[in-house]
Amino acid sequence: MAKTYDFLFKLLLIGDSGVGKTCVLFRFSEDAFNSTFISTIGIDFKIRTIELDGKKIKLQIWDTAGQERFRTITTAYYRGAMGIMLVYDITNQKSFDNIRNWIRNIEEHASADVEKMILGNKCDMDDRRAVSKEKGEQLAIEYGIKFMETSAKASINVEEAFVTLARDIKSKMDRKMDATGQQKSGGVKVTEKESQKKSGWKFCTLL
Amino acid sequence: MADKGDQAKVATPMDTDAAKDPNQVGGSGEAEPTRDMTELIKDGKNAKSIVCERCNSKILLPGVAEFVTKEIFLPHMKKKSEQQKATDGENLSEHWVVSDMMTFENVGFTNTVGTAKYLICADCEVGPVGWHDVTDKTKYFIALDRVQHK
Repeated sequence: MAKTYDFLFKLLLIGDSGVGKTCVLFRFSEDAFNSTFISTIGIDFKIRTIELDGKKIKLQIWDTAGQERFRTITTAYYRGAMGIMLVYDITNQKSFDNIRNWIRNIEEHASADVEKMILGNKCDMDDRRAVSKEKGEQLAIEYGIKFMETSAKASINVEEAFVTLARDIKSKMDRKMDATGQQKSGGVKVTEKESQKKSGWKFCTLL
Repeated sequence: MADKGDQAKVATPMDTDAAKDPNQVGGSGEAEPTRDMTELIKDGKNAKSIVCERCNSKILLPGVAEFVTKEIFLPHMKKKSEQQKATDGENLSEHWVVSDMMTFENVGFTNTVGTAKYLICADCEVGPVGWHDVTDKTKYFIALDRVQHK
């Protein structure tokens, strides 16, 4: 069958436990009519389809449920990820402070060109804000990444956040494709350089 | 039937509810579809969109899934009584099947139980609406009884 989409982006949700990552994507409805089966076994990932500039984009989105301490999340978890949502809870100062640790963890373990975005999430309705919107914005500016506040329960900005992240990934891909398309010989040169570097590095370790 | 193994993965008295359910297809399993399929199938594929029965979230577009009969045990989607155990369920035999998970518009996959992953609505998370065996990456089932056709 012909492929029915143009792009497939793999995204991760990262952040302390209890910040409402689960709310952002994984709601675990408390609805009394719902069976307990799904919430008992838990959700692995979701597939969502969005449209950007007339292109159909599939998003495959993972949560870190159950392994929220950043020390336990290493390279294997980030493999293949093209976008990462860094989520904190606006009522929880610690979760906000830990965003820096999460970014450090990403820099250490994830691919260098992974797109990032910070989400300040308000999981429940009571207003117990501990982190101002300005603080969130400042942090995002410091790292040069985008920021948004979401309310997962009210579905405010949640979809917009995913569309924004997807758009950034696509723009980056488009730029890369333009670059390689325009100067083919340049592309080959880059590969040569890379392989030289690799063999050089091997040589060093042997010594 | 080749699927007995599938059913055994959910450790539960699986025949109790199915046996009591008057809507259940009789013991024959591979039985004729119990509903009129003429409106639902066009050119061998689903004629209508397949959406979540609770929140209308779009699961599959028209013309992408094939109809199959296969007995699959799915835990209940709705709470039917206070005594209901999480693993109580029923055997369902009418399904839509797609061969690539990226065919879905919106869907959620549970963690793996045995070799099974259960499919749920990506928006309201009601489910299971379908089933997938991780040892066969070419089959993803959505139970007709658990979704709406629009």
